[in-house]
Amino acid sequence: MARAGDPRERSGSTPAFRSVALEKVYRTGETTVHALRGVDISIARGEMLVLLGPSGSGKSTLLNILGALDRPTSGQLFYGETELTALNDHDLTRFRRAEVGFIFQFYNLIPSLTAEENVRLVTDIAERPMDAAEALDMVGLAERRDHYPAQLSGGEQQRVAVARAIAKRPGVLLCDEPTGALDSATGVRVLQTLKHVHDELGATVLVITHNVGIAAMAHRVLHFRDGRIARIEQNEQPVDPAEISW
Amino acid sequence: MKALDLKLARDLWRMRGQVLAIALVLAAASATYVLSAGVYLSLTATRDAYYARNYFADVFAEMTRAPRSVIARVARIPGVQRVEGGIVQYATLDFPGRIEPVRALINSVDEGGRTHLNAITLGKGRMPRAGEAGEVVVDTFFAAANDLGIGSTVAAQIHGREQTLKIVGTGLAPNSIYALPPGDLVPDERRFGIFWMGREALEAATDRREAINALSLTLERGASQAEVIRKVDLILAPYGGTGAYGREDQISHAFLDSELKQLDAMTRVIPPIFLLVSTFLVYVVLGRMVSTERAQIGLLKAFGYSDRAIGWHYLKFAFAIALVAIVLGSLAGIWMGRGMTSLYAQYYRFPFLEYHLSPGVFLTAGALAVGSSSLGALAGVRSAMALAPAVAMSPPAPPVYHAGPVERIGRRAGFTAIGHMIVRHIARWPGRSAITVLGVALSMGLLFATLQFIDASRAMLDQFFARSQHQDLTVTFTEARNRDVIHALAQLPGVLRVEPTRAIPVQMRLGNRSERTALESVDPESRLTARIDINGQEIALPPAGLMLSRRLADQLAANVGDVIRIEQLGGRRTQLAEPVVRIAEEIVGARAYANPATLEKLARDASPVGAALLRIDPAAREAILRSLKSMPVVLGVTERDAALARFNALIDENLLTMIGFYIAFASAIAIGVVYNSARILFSERAHELATLRVLGYQQREVGIILLGEVALLVLLSLPLGCVIGYGMAQLMTAMFSSDLFRLPYAATWASYALAAIVVIIAALGTALAVAWRVTRLDMVRVLKARE
Repeated sequence: MARAGDPRERSGSTPAFRSVALEKVYRTGETTVHALRGVDISIARGEMLVLLGPSGSGKSTLLNILGALDRPTSGQLFYGETELTALNDHDLTRFRRAEVGFIFQFYNLIPSLTAEENVRLVTDIAERPMDAAEALDMVGLAERRDHYPAQLSGGEQQRVAVARAIAKRPGVLLCDEPTGALDSATGVRVLQTLKHVHDELGATVLVITHNVGIAAMAHRVLHFRDGRIARIEQNEQPVDPAEISW
Repeated sequence: MKALDLKLARDLWRMRGQVLAIALVLAAASATYVLSAGVYLSLTATRDAYYARNYFADVFAEMTRAPRSVIARVARIPGVQRVEGGIVQYATLDFPGRIEPVRALINSVDEGGRTHLNAITLGKGRMPRAGEAGEVVVDTFFAAANDLGIGSTVAAQIHGREQTLKIVGTGLAPNSIYALPPGDLVPDERRFGIFWMGREALEAATDRREAINALSLTLERGASQAEVIRKVDLILAPYGGTGAYGREDQISHAFLDSELKQLDAMTRVIPPIFLLVSTFLVYVVLGRMVSTERAQIGLLKAFGYSDRAIGWHYLKFAFAIALVAIVLGSLAGIWMGRGMTSLYAQYYRFPFLEYHLSPGVFLTAGALAVGSSSLGALAGVRSAMALAPAVAMSPPAPPVYHAGPVERIGRRAGFTAIGHMIVRHIARWPGRSAITVLGVALSMGLLFATLQFIDASRAMLDQFFARSQHQDLTVTFTEARNRDVIHALAQLPGVLRVEPTRAIPVQMRLGNRSERTALESVDPESRLTARIDINGQEIALPPAGLMLSRRLADQLAANVGDVIRIEQLGGRRTQLAEPVVRIAEEIVGARAYANPATLEKLARDASPVGAALLRIDPAAREAILRSLKSMPVVLGVTERDAALARFNALIDENLLTMIGFYIAFASAIAIGVVYNSARILFSERAHELATLRVLGYQQREVGIILLGEVALLVLLSLPLGCVIGYGMAQLMTAMFSSDLFRLPYAATWASYALAAIVVIIAALGTALAVAWRVTRLDMVRVLKARE
């Protein structure tokens, strides 16, 4: 196969992601849940998107499928020229390893590893990683590199998670409620970090949030409802996270 | 069913793998207990019933020849309940077409049915009748092994005379449960049989009309055995009495007793190991369960459940494990117990021997299982009871990791982040890691100690046969002969070397201790015998004085330099005082040695020959055996290689079965320990493992975190397992040694290696099975949840 997400494939013309009629059906016992009901979307390289919508509207499902954590029940998904829906588990893992940075609401740091070592988890296996110290520097945590997660505040932990996500120089950064567990000031700090990384690395960034205020920083805002994209909002003048508050 | 009990049932089902893994270890405890205690009780109960029903005597005595009237004199000794005298006579049997020597020990029985002591339990046929010269009852095992039935005849040479014996019955008696051919260590029902013949017929056949050469007696309750023996010896002294002795020195009883001691030792050593491991496992698993169910416990308490109800709920979890273990363990124990009993039934000549199901054994096994499981649950139950509802419902504080000393080493060694994760997790849970290490080490130790048993038996065999006996044949005579017989044997074509041996029955005294034994002559010139000690070293023979085996020295509390008073038993009862010049760490028996001159001084006669050792040309074996068979003075011939082969067969049959069991048992421990440890590891780390998968680690790479930690712990446990195994093997060697033989400690490297390999395979196989769960890790669900 073509190497998933080789940077040389990045060009202005090819979108980062392109999906065709993505469907996702969960069957648990006798209940069937249609999490996605035909999503067609094209996401440009270097774009920043915010996904809004009530719980269960399908935004997390889409994010997980884009990040190769999950597979659609039907439909096609392309990352650049590569059809992700045609890859096996092993190759999907390679795709994640090379291209995808994840940031979650609950940080998901390894408690037994220091901040720097958590970042090294990624730099150990990535092909062209930045230095772990450099990644921590980008999120403003250079001096806390030897601290364990339990010794860091929530905001600091989330910034370590950001550093970990960007250290591989990902093509795409997927953030699921990155500020969900943080207070407003800390949340803004994390968003500024995200913006900074986006500007520096030119990665495509998708952010899921319940927080409508955050949508102001995106190029586009996707509104989800019942497993579909109900509305796409174009934002001509994305604002700086510093101007956002909640 | 109450809701809380439903939770218990579902928890048990959800954790069935771990429950079963612990239950298997605990079941091994129950099984080994039910096996060894059950067989022990079955054997003792059978033996005691047999002894009681057939009036097994308390005291035995042999003499050269005494008038029947001594019986009445012995009967008058205070404390003697019943005395019977008779004749005991070795005979050689001639089976046409068989050249290997066959021997029989013929006992006299009263034709009028007045023999009560050591009475025969008739299997088939009838007792010999008065006036029928050649009628005999033969022991059931010998009859079966030689295809003899009622009406069969056997040509015998008794007291130098040819006689045809007619079999009229088969049976068994309690004084020959373990029937050893003289000079042998293993029963051989094909070559050695116990016969019973009418008293008058045997008197006639041995020229002992109205005379006896053996008597046995029972004691009244409370009578002093030592005092009776002293008086019996006084009465029998003029008749060549070789010293009366109690049951403890009666060969059949002594062997059976030694076997029972070993079973008892097994009951005390083996089950506790399994109990210990399962206690640890319950401790770890229940502790983990309580900590993951904190919120539920808080909720239940908030609803109004009492601390006691919560504690009881978790205690029942431990009970359930014990219950599964008791059922599995008892069934396995019964199955193995039956097998072992039937094995015993091949070597011990009981008229009936069955594995007896004793309620006490099962109750004790059950109590032990419930006890150890509850003990393990105690800490978890207490912490569940102590949790305050409000505290319980908030998540536990995140584990705090520190950079320890291991850490600095790791940094310098350039560990990867994964390497740090493994090492720090072990250091973060030192108690649990230690339990895993200890559990795996115990499993290896147990296996090693058992394997060492084979090594020890083979070493014993090697030292007793191969290295200390260089003769091909041992020829025993009907009575002590002069040296002419040596010359006669040397004349036989094919005989390469003949050496005489001699042993005199003696009483040895030191201080107030005294022991009956045989003083054996050792000739420094001998090339056919060597004395090998327990460490495999050849023992140099002292030029003068006494050499005692360690066992005899201990019995007499003798040290080098002590002067032992020796009295010859039988014959002239001459006395001698000799210093102990050496104590030999010998394997078999309580023995004493002196040079031929000392024996001559004691016996005051020119070196008669008790037996002869022959080295022969293998090509002439058949001819030599045929010649020996026709020599009237020859009582029996023992072939070293045949004895060795029989011993080897015994080891193979018994020990290999045992090893099979113990490989299974040791694996059960390793599997139980590793499975639980890996499952806990997995559940604790599911979140981290999912995170790694999200970060782009392949399944294989993530699996390494699980396997790496287990592998590291197993690696740590191997040296500890060697140490534990060494200790256990030493303990078992000491506990299994008896008056009859000592086991050398003779572990081979192969045993260490095999024990380690079995444990590694069991441990890593189990860990691999758990690591397989990585493939089913649901990244999305795990990451959505807070840790």
